[in-house]
Amino acid sequence: MSWGELGAGALRAALLFAAVGAGASVFAARYRDVRGLASARWCALLALALVALADLAMIGALVTHDFRIAYVASNNALETPVFYSVISLWAALEGSILLWTLVLAGATAFVAWRGTVAMPRLATTALAILFAMLAFFLLLVTTPAADPFAPSAFVPENGRGPNALLQNNPLMALHPPLLYLGYVLFSVPFAYAMASLILGEGGDRWLVATRRYALVSWALLGTGIVAGAWWSYAVLGWGGYWAWDPVENAAIMPWLTATAYLHSVMVEEKRRLLRTWNLALVIGTFALTILGTFLTRSGIVNSVHAFSLSAIGPLLLGYLVAILVCSSGLLLWRSRELADRGALGAPLSREAIFLFQNVLFVAATLTILLGTLYPLIAEALSGNQLSIGAPYFDRVEVPIALALLFLMGVGPQLPWHGASRATLERQFALPALAAAAGAIGAIIAGTRGSAPVLTYALAAFVAATVVQEIARGIRARGALHGERTAPAFVALFRRSGRRYGGYVVHLGVALIAVAIAASQSATVESEQTLAPGGSMSVAGRVVTLDAIRDVDEPQRRRVVADVRVSGPSGDTRLEPSFAFYPNATQPVGTPGISAGPGEDVYVILAAYDQRGKAWATIRTRVIPLVSWIWVGGAVIGVGSIIAALPPPRRRSVRAPAILEAAPAGAE
Amino acid sequence: MPDPVNDGGSGRAGIGARRLVALAALALAIGIGFVAAQSLAGTAVYYLTPTEAKEKGIAAGQTARLGGQVEAGSLRYEPVSRDLRFVIGDGVSRVQVVGTGAPPGLLREGAGAVVEGTFGADGVFRATQVIAKHDEVYQAPPPGATPSHRTP
Repeated sequence: MSWGELGAGALRAALLFAAVGAGASVFAARYRDVRGLASARWCALLALALVALADLAMIGALVTHDFRIAYVASNNALETPVFYSVISLWAALEGSILLWTLVLAGATAFVAWRGTVAMPRLATTALAILFAMLAFFLLLVTTPAADPFAPSAFVPENGRGPNALLQNNPLMALHPPLLYLGYVLFSVPFAYAMASLILGEGGDRWLVATRRYALVSWALLGTGIVAGAWWSYAVLGWGGYWAWDPVENAAIMPWLTATAYLHSVMVEEKRRLLRTWNLALVIGTFALTILGTFLTRSGIVNSVHAFSLSAIGPLLLGYLVAILVCSSGLLLWRSRELADRGALGAPLSREAIFLFQNVLFVAATLTILLGTLYPLIAEALSGNQLSIGAPYFDRVEVPIALALLFLMGVGPQLPWHGASRATLERQFALPALAAAAGAIGAIIAGTRGSAPVLTYALAAFVAATVVQEIARGIRARGALHGERTAPAFVALFRRSGRRYGGYVVHLGVALIAVAIAASQSATVESEQTLAPGGSMSVAGRVVTLDAIRDVDEPQRRRVVADVRVSGPSGDTRLEPSFAFYPNATQPVGTPGISAGPGEDVYVILAAYDQRGKAWATIRTRVIPLVSWIWVGGAVIGVGSIIAALPPPRRRSVRAPAILEAAPAGAE
Repeated sequence: MPDPVNDGGSGRAGIGARRLVALAALALAIGIGFVAAQSLAGTAVYYLTPTEAKEKGIAAGQTARLGGQVEAGSLRYEPVSRDLRFVIGDGVSRVQVVGTGAPPGLLREGAGAVVEGTFGADGVFRATQVIAKHDEVYQAPPPGATPSHRTP
């Protein structure tokens, strides 16, 4: 049996199990039938195993260069190293949908086996929805729309090789899977929310059941976005990391609404408010993940990421419309039962800050959506083609981001219901001082422009609130349990992980804000044409071009400039280069980066003498603090892990299965 | 400062506070919408082919984006002054482009490019930004074609 037959067969069998599983879980939920649930569980597990088999078959085909499969022929070559062969699974449309399907099958199986234990009826209904979604994606990969195992029209001697931009950097191994995991895991909160609406359970049990899925999905999406920015910085060679490209926007939009959701969830848990709003955020976030896939995969918007035009566009659009119609319909149908009892508190209460924060996050999302889709709207209305670039997004999103940074410091410091003057003084005296110190320090250090100064001040404000909270937590534990500082510190994160993990995430965000402000406002750039031996001076560094040479590698040819950067801390050698891939009409430039905690020296080979290598044009950018963006991404990841880990169980708490005292339950 | 404890309920003070919060949120949303609409109008850059640019008579000094192909044999880069010149065409019309700085690594004669900048009074396009198109599957646009959003 060939890889192609194995993979295609596995996907068809998986489709069958997904369909049967959907039927079985509907039956189990409707009639509270134990055998139905058991069948659904086995269907989920078998579907997962079969999709995993199909993914492995694709990896097998890529590693063994089986060009009988069209996907392998156009995304792999005999010279492709094994590592890049494996990650070519997600280098193009069909393979990435295959990976997507695998993650969705995993989430479905997890809900089938774990979720249904605590809340049988709700989870089984959610399971039916997940099975239906899985069936949709399995339909995509078993029909010509996105068939990864479609045979080649003719079998070539050698394949075209992976996209040059994708085989240039190992970060490509990290960025797409993180994003896909994030995108797909949000299906679980969505499915539970829909199940809750279908069953008419106006309560917030769905929300408690899926809090962790939402958090993990959000964290993966966030770290995936940061990894993508890092990839862009290290590979695309323009010295930046964010270009407001439609596909970047597509990734950040669901992250923004998910961030809003993770916070407004707390209002529902503590105050039983904002129920409809939370459901709308879940629906919106999920729809935006599909919109992102649609924008990336349909080629409808101009983007560096544009995959080839494919029949999958209309199908994904149909799926998106169906999801929006069904979920909004359900929401309207149940709207009366969802009405909030009680009211929001005073303007200076935590729930009010969460409300403002939610408005800002949703406004940021909608304005990004407007800027992304406006070229399409304008073309449809007036026939004119136009582009909306960074100036629009910077002008609109920077003030929103600064306001959010401010609220990030304020929100956690305010009590629910409202704050007295004494509370305000106690909570904000120190952070306000820190903010003033941050602003003054930035101005003394020579920062120009109100946005960066404000950013530093607000980041100091946020950092001070976090330090203050942790210090008070430690002191409280010391007073209560007589713990010393170090054990109290650990206990805070172990026992109140959600709260203190959240603070760590806030620190990571503040770090990223500072790094963005510094790198955007204080980068020094210079471009000069140098002969070998010549040098240029940029921001206290001397950049010398030593030589220009050819390097032949099996899968590509490179032209490398040997560059020496001399600074206060000695010499660094960099090799900015152009890579020529046989399948690409255009070379791929790779920058040479000397990363450091204070600043990165980013050297680009902009042009060179193709005849005699007598000169090269070298562009040098000295970019302050940019590495801290990636560090901040890691801090957000760590904070999310702390927040997602379950706290140690106390013996007095009974198993949550007791909560579901459903009459004649399915369990 | 109203009594914080009784301020969040459904009493009279609560309803007043709730209105205030809701109004502030609404004002915030409207303000952002206004800024967004203003910025959208102010920053939109029209995307034209050389033919459309000639037909519409884009005024000198107005920012525009031209999309087309770099004409074969037209790409000149003067290494020392870093003076960049090329002709961008769509098979019907051609426009001389000048810029400063090395061409982007992906810029090639015969390949697609997008330039952003302004026309001078002499009809020469002064590019502030030169973007080479690097599509996953490269394909030259057909003659006279509009640089479509639906690039392959």
